[in-house]
Amino acid sequence: MIPLRQHGAKKQHIAGSRRKVLFPAVFLLLSFLLMILPLEGMVASIKVVLSYVFIPQIRLAHGGVKYAENVHQTVQELLQTHTENRLLKQQMEETQMLTSQAQYIFQENERLSAIVGVQPAQRWQGVWAKVAYREPAQWNTVIIDKGAADGVQERSAVLSLAHGQEGLAGVVIEVTENTAKVLLLRDEDFTAAVMLERGQEEGLLVGGGLHPVRLKYIPLLTPVVKGDKIYTASSSSIFPAGILVGSVSDVREDDSFQTSLTVEVAPAVRSGAVKELFVITNPERK
Amino acid sequence: MVWKGCKIIFLFIVATIFHWAGATLFSFFGLSVNLMLVFAIAFCAELKLEVGYPVAFMAGLFLDFFGTRLFGNNAFSFTAAACLMYALCSRFDFESIFPQVFTVFGLTCFVSLLNSILLAWFTSAMMWPGTWSVVGGAAVGAAFAPFVFWLANRVLREDTKAA
Repeated sequence: MIPLRQHGAKKQHIAGSRRKVLFPAVFLLLSFLLMILPLEGMVASIKVVLSYVFIPQIRLAHGGVKYAENVHQTVQELLQTHTENRLLKQQMEETQMLTSQAQYIFQENERLSAIVGVQPAQRWQGVWAKVAYREPAQWNTVIIDKGAADGVQERSAVLSLAHGQEGLAGVVIEVTENTAKVLLLRDEDFTAAVMLERGQEEGLLVGGGLHPVRLKYIPLLTPVVKGDKIYTASSSSIFPAGILVGSVSDVREDDSFQTSLTVEVAPAVRSGAVKELFVITNPERK
Repeated sequence: MVWKGCKIIFLFIVATIFHWAGATLFSFFGLSVNLMLVFAIAFCAELKLEVGYPVAFMAGLFLDFFGTRLFGNNAFSFTAAACLMYALCSRFDFESIFPQVFTVFGLTCFVSLLNSILLAWFTSAMMWPGTWSVVGGAAVGAAFAPFVFWLANRVLREDTKAA
């Protein structure tokens, strides 16, 4: 029995040694063959076969790396958000402080106006409305989705936001229960009493239709420069004072017999671009 | 047997992901990091040679798949590295960190050198990536070695015991 066991162990040892030599030899030979074979033909076929095995893995690996990159980006964004959040909080605090200051100034204004006997400027109240319809043939009138039910009245002033600041857009000319028609500033029938920021000179703004919007009745020697801002005047019967209308785009002295300047105006709100409008619904208009 | 095969395939996929990520990230620093080799060495430390050699060969073939000039050089050098690894297995205990780190470092340098020689021989083109790139890449691979060995041990442990 003992010699047999020894014989078996010896056979196993030989088989193990053979395996130790055989396995590396086979794989080294195989890889060597792959190296000496031309890249076309058989090797190309092997590559095609391998592509079915490896390409899904490569895609998975690539996806994993891309995901890791995104994680890094997300973390970066999160860190930035934290900084941004801190800045916004700071800005909010500053805005709150400004609001309380403004509140104090409003109260003071009301008190002083009462002493002097002047009607103080009303704060704007109103509703936001969306442009519901725009007639293709008449680009200077739009129909909005708010009407009498929302407090919209005829001759209500209509504002819109332009570059973060509100600007005069037009006036309500027709009201139904749930809609209203707005005449935009560019229309030939539109007029408004306005004043120049520089010199506080008042004039009449007239829509030009296809022509530029003009400011009439500005005396000849009035200092007007291109870019001067124009606001609604306190003498206006429709519009509250202080709404930005636009800026001076051109100043001309056309004819020698004229007694006033020809001032062209670039409206702050582009009539063709209005989408949301703010209709002032203050009942206490002058 | 099937379960063991699944584990090896899973680890192989993990290796490709790590290799891809390592190659992409460290290429910005001019280092040629070969994490596939680190995994192949770890496979050899955990598996019997009947399985270890084919896995190392396939790992090399995976890298050859991206090559355009020569096909099979990585398979050859990975098999040669596996050969050396099995020779070292009988002398060192690969459960401790130092043999893992130094073996991976040495074998990575060896594989880079062998690949360059094979490329120079078969294509007459010198493809030496640079000493700093090779040594730095080998150092990075060596730094990852304990983790890779731990992962391979964790995944293939039961199979090793069964073997």
